[in-house]
Amino acid sequence: MIDLNERFSEKRNFFNRLIFVYVFFGVLFLYLIYKTFSLQVSSYTDYELASLENKTREFLIQPRRGIIYDRNGEIIVNNKPSYNMILDPENVDDINELIFEINKFINLSDAEIKNINNIFPNKKKLNREVVLKRNLTTKEIAKFEVRKYRFPDIQIAERYSRQNLYPYLFSHSIGYVGNLDEEKLQEILSSQNLKSNETIFTYSNGFLDGKTGIEYIYDDKLRGLFGKKIYEVDASGRLLEEKQVIPAVAGEDIITSLDLSSQKVAYDELNNRRGAVVAVDINDGSIVTYVSTPSFSVNKIANGLTQKEFNELINDDDKPFFDRAAQGRYSPASTIKPAIGLFGIDKDILDWEYTIQDPGFFVLPEDGRIYRGWKKGGHGEINLKDAIIESSNTFFFSLAYRTEIEELRAHLSNFGFGRNVCDDCFMPDNGLLPSPRWKMNTHNFGWFKGDTVNVGVGQGYINATPIQLAYYSAFLATKGNLNKFSFVQDSNSANKNIFTSKNITNTDWNNIHESMIGVIESPRGTAGRLRLLKDYVIAAKSGTVELVSTETKEDYQIIRETEGKRDHAIIIAFAPMPNPKYAISVVIENGESGGSVAGPVAVAVLNSLVKND
Amino acid sequence: MINFKNFLKDKIYIDLYLFISITLLSIMGLVFLYSASQGNIETIIKQSFFVIFGLFLMFIVSQPDPDFYKNNSAIFLIFSLVLVLVTLFFGKEVNGARRWLDLGFFTLQTSEIIKVALPVFLAAYLYDKPLPINLFNTFTTLVLILLIVNLVRIQPDLGTSLVILIAGLYILFLAGLSWRFIGISSGIFILSLPFIWNNFLEPFQRQRILTLLDPNADPFGSGWNITQSKIAIGSGGLQGKGYQMGSQAHLDFLPETETDFIFSVIAEEFGFIGVCILLSIFLFILLRCLYLAFDARDRFCRLTIGGLSLLFLSTVFINLSMVVGIIPVVGMPLPFISKGGSSLLSFYIAFGIIISMATHKKLMQK
Repeated sequence: MIDLNERFSEKRNFFNRLIFVYVFFGVLFLYLIYKTFSLQVSSYTDYELASLENKTREFLIQPRRGIIYDRNGEIIVNNKPSYNMILDPENVDDINELIFEINKFINLSDAEIKNINNIFPNKKKLNREVVLKRNLTTKEIAKFEVRKYRFPDIQIAERYSRQNLYPYLFSHSIGYVGNLDEEKLQEILSSQNLKSNETIFTYSNGFLDGKTGIEYIYDDKLRGLFGKKIYEVDASGRLLEEKQVIPAVAGEDIITSLDLSSQKVAYDELNNRRGAVVAVDINDGSIVTYVSTPSFSVNKIANGLTQKEFNELINDDDKPFFDRAAQGRYSPASTIKPAIGLFGIDKDILDWEYTIQDPGFFVLPEDGRIYRGWKKGGHGEINLKDAIIESSNTFFFSLAYRTEIEELRAHLSNFGFGRNVCDDCFMPDNGLLPSPRWKMNTHNFGWFKGDTVNVGVGQGYINATPIQLAYYSAFLATKGNLNKFSFVQDSNSANKNIFTSKNITNTDWNNIHESMIGVIESPRGTAGRLRLLKDYVIAAKSGTVELVSTETKEDYQIIRETEGKRDHAIIIAFAPMPNPKYAISVVIENGESGGSVAGPVAVAVLNSLVKND
Repeated sequence: MINFKNFLKDKIYIDLYLFISITLLSIMGLVFLYSASQGNIETIIKQSFFVIFGLFLMFIVSQPDPDFYKNNSAIFLIFSLVLVLVTLFFGKEVNGARRWLDLGFFTLQTSEIIKVALPVFLAAYLYDKPLPINLFNTFTTLVLILLIVNLVRIQPDLGTSLVILIAGLYILFLAGLSWRFIGISSGIFILSLPFIWNNFLEPFQRQRILTLLDPNADPFGSGWNITQSKIAIGSGGLQGKGYQMGSQAHLDFLPETETDFIFSVIAEEFGFIGVCILLSIFLFILLRCLYLAFDARDRFCRLTIGGLSLLFLSTVFINLSMVVGIIPVVGMPLPFISKGGSSLLSFYIAFGIIISMATHKKLMQK
């Protein structure tokens, strides 16, 4: 027993200690309340968001891709629907019984049944739809429709694949689509303020984006905006309730300037030879024909090639993927002569009366080197107009000899050489407009006068793509007043190139046009055999690109045994004269004669264009 | 009428403050539990039975004179110790733990009984020992505490064994354990922490502690519970999402909503305001106990009220600290709110004893 004093001290001691513990916990409780306050009030927004993210799942809805039309409203590229049989697994317990019932009227292959059995348990757990059968035929759809009431959990869903109605005609102009890679998808989603917590591509053929051509260049327009379905989910990821649907916005349709019928003609005329045709409406620079052959099927590329088919395309010596129209580099050869002639006029080197004596070759004074023309014995006394009609090399050798290369380059650049002339072409090549600096850098050699002389007849280092040649042709046709080329016209971005020179008058332009008309119409013209192929007037200039330099015709006969060493055939033209509307360039690799091989293709395409107007 | 009132006052022992606040808490608990159990009627009926039975038990337990508990505390302790031992050998195994005795109508978690019996026994043992408690008494008490704590720990039930340890130490502390002893043993304890970490903690327990330090290190693994709990509490905001509107609780993101994490459900659905109201009821009960301890008639009553109220305080504190992520996750119910009959009944009994200690006065103190 403890005494009274001790009892008092015990009591005081007890209270002190009890209060000590209470105060200790009081402090801890204050911290606890502070902690709760900071969770619920200070960081409320963060946690509210986290809670929202926990319970919602977004599924993207793919927008319908825009349709691509030709200039007359003909559909070129469309979205082809296909039909899949989709099961909502939530109320299905025995999948085998269901498969058995369906199999009575729609045949499911063993592989399909196996696949369904594989994916069913997980899909059911998460309440995600199961694709029972893909690509139903109309007959199968009809069979299902009459029995629909027995299968409340099954529906037929549409999906779209990209379909080019003319899979070989527009391979290089419109291009093709392919599956979107993950990185690009994230980029697109973030640009539309979408998050891809989970992206399941219901019914769609995956996400597509343009890989080449117009499909690539105008991808943003064609694609449209993604929509989404927002579901509430529980912790296991099971879908509970559809909360919100934001519909997708379909992509914009695009009307191109391409002309279906001329495109067909160009494709048929090229007849799988290696070559390219580019034709434009000179009034607005719109591209109406754009073909590179041989071609390939864009539909097969977009919807999946077998490895064998792919290898065949890749290893084909004719390189069907190669877009010759925008990327093929060819010497302009004699087609450049009108531009060189104009330069002579502009710089007062000559006038239309000026003549030279053409012995069939030109001797470079510096070193006595001989530059030959195509005609043995030459063209005799000849002026600029006839030199264009008959394609005298000697005339242009001697004219080029008297020019300054830098000035000549500036002049040729106006005509589209050495620069991009197209607003919306896919990866266009700039060709080559050589300069002394370029030669020093690439060949580690100085510029010779002979190099300038070669430029005078479009040979040597200078080269251009068919689209640049078409631009050049159109530039001549418009007398130096031309829009930048495009497939899709947008008046805001029209970029006009106007040629001004006080020395070149309308008469000079008319003389050039007359000379080029003479190429076909004159008895001495190099493309005379085209005369009978049309019933209106065409201005043209043909060219033959020498791949191997030869001294005599006999030597060439030996060379042409190898097809790859034969000359390229090339022609530029515009029509109908005297008020031209279309300009064209045609290149046929190893076609040998510009006038008689490339010429008929150009005329056929122009016929189609002019006649249909 | 007046006579009858006096009769009630003389013969019926009841503390209206505690009785009303505990009843209020119990009813709120039922309301919360209904939401936390996703509207499970069976759970609510069962819990309601325990609440009604528990309140009745509390009333019954508060009627005997404190001397009854003082004189029979050893019997109670031995009885509950036997129950714990029986559980250890014949208990019902759930998830690898043997904590429950199947009584047919009710599975009893026996450690919940000894949780109350031990402090009462220790108070009865220490109330007449001179101050400061000598070394012999300190050690015998400590040995008894550690023995019982270990019996519960090997079930295994870390949470309850921790509470029993704390409750025992409170009594020892309140009874006048010397400060020197406290200082020295605290020093030894801190120094031996690395040893305890390496030898006494199971890997999953170490993981829980590490998780606490950085729950984001593995948000879908061991950090899942605490992360989801924080999201639930935080997203409740000031006013809460509304009753039964908590998405964290109702879409299964939150674990153990009926037991350990019921506070997260409350915080999600009733917000900071709801949390404050709930905490003020707990606070009221605790302050009332403090007052009753001051007012108690003798040292035994003081020690018992102090010890049991601190037991209650610690349980509440551990549960709340766990769900807001201050301490590691240990299984610990929120008193009077969480589902679970044994824990509920043990606190009704504890408060019954507190009321008995507080209401039985002697006209002449010894």
